[in-house]
Amino acid sequence: MTPTAAVTLNEAQRDCYQEIANVAMGQAADRLARLLDVYVELPIPRVNLIEATDLHMALQEARNDEGLSAVCQGFIGSGIAGEALLIFNDTSVQDLAGLLNYQGQRSPWTTEELLMDVSSLLTGACINGIGDQLGIHFNQGLPAIIGRGRNAEELLQSGPYPWHKTLAIEIHYSVEHMNIDCTLLLLFTEDSVPKLNKKIDFLLD
Amino acid sequence: MTTRVLICDDSGFARKQMARALPEEWDKQILHAADGHEALEIIRAGYGDVVFLDLTMPGLDGYGVLETIRREDLPAMVIVVSGDIQPDAQDRVKKLGAMAFIKKPIDADKARAVLLEFGLLAGV
Repeated sequence: MTPTAAVTLNEAQRDCYQEIANVAMGQAADRLARLLDVYVELPIPRVNLIEATDLHMALQEARNDEGLSAVCQGFIGSGIAGEALLIFNDTSVQDLAGLLNYQGQRSPWTTEELLMDVSSLLTGACINGIGDQLGIHFNQGLPAIIGRGRNAEELLQSGPYPWHKTLAIEIHYSVEHMNIDCTLLLLFTEDSVPKLNKKIDFLLD
Repeated sequence: MTTRVLICDDSGFARKQMARALPEEWDKQILHAADGHEALEIIRAGYGDVVFLDLTMPGLDGYGVLETIRREDLPAMVIVVSGDIQPDAQDRVKKLGAMAFIKKPIDADKARAVLLEFGLLAGV
């Protein structure tokens, strides 16, 4: 195995990633807003180099007694690959189901359908939004539910993440006036980071 | 006459993109602000005839800037440039007095179209 190039991130690059994530999350939020007929609040995304332990802490923040559900979806294009992890707490899943079923144009949504559909919509739009801005066409894998009412530690162990330190984009969505929120974590593979940084540096030039 | 243009965005990258998207032949002087408070100081000092304003910013955000401009009746034509493209966001800023809304990412065509629409690029 060839040694991986050092994973680094300078301030200008961080700012650029953040702005690109901001635009992509806005496109995804717009789709969710139109689906649910709500307003989605958009805080500033967080861009960081993280280690496995940091991810553990991030998940812990989202954790509460009710447990979490998460959907993971891989993406790859132009030699850049990563995993998107969309994490809901179970209250959000219930409220989301309530909101969609209330609109009532179809038979009730099962929790699985709901997790898969909302994840495809949010994750798909976000990945495409980032790809468009960087000139990369990402192919997206099928979403898979990796945690249903499981706690954060189990969630971490079930993901295929053979990495030590990598780039993470953390995007938080919450629906205005409702108890619905979720976190989208985009984790790039370690060896994708130098290639991504090159694309970013090109934009910054 | 030189137009005093203010670009307000917390991202340095976004400010640069915005400045690059403005027509070269437009007679302008560009100032930058990294947050809402800085933007208001510049506008109060009379250096913000046309303001390109981001919405999501730490500290005072774009909505806060629009509210203050209206409350203090400041002479600024505000064009919101935002990644928050939800219908609600567009409605809210128009109600707060923004002249136009441009979806990020900004490009030269979008910028030119808005400037032409509001007669800011007359005779070019």
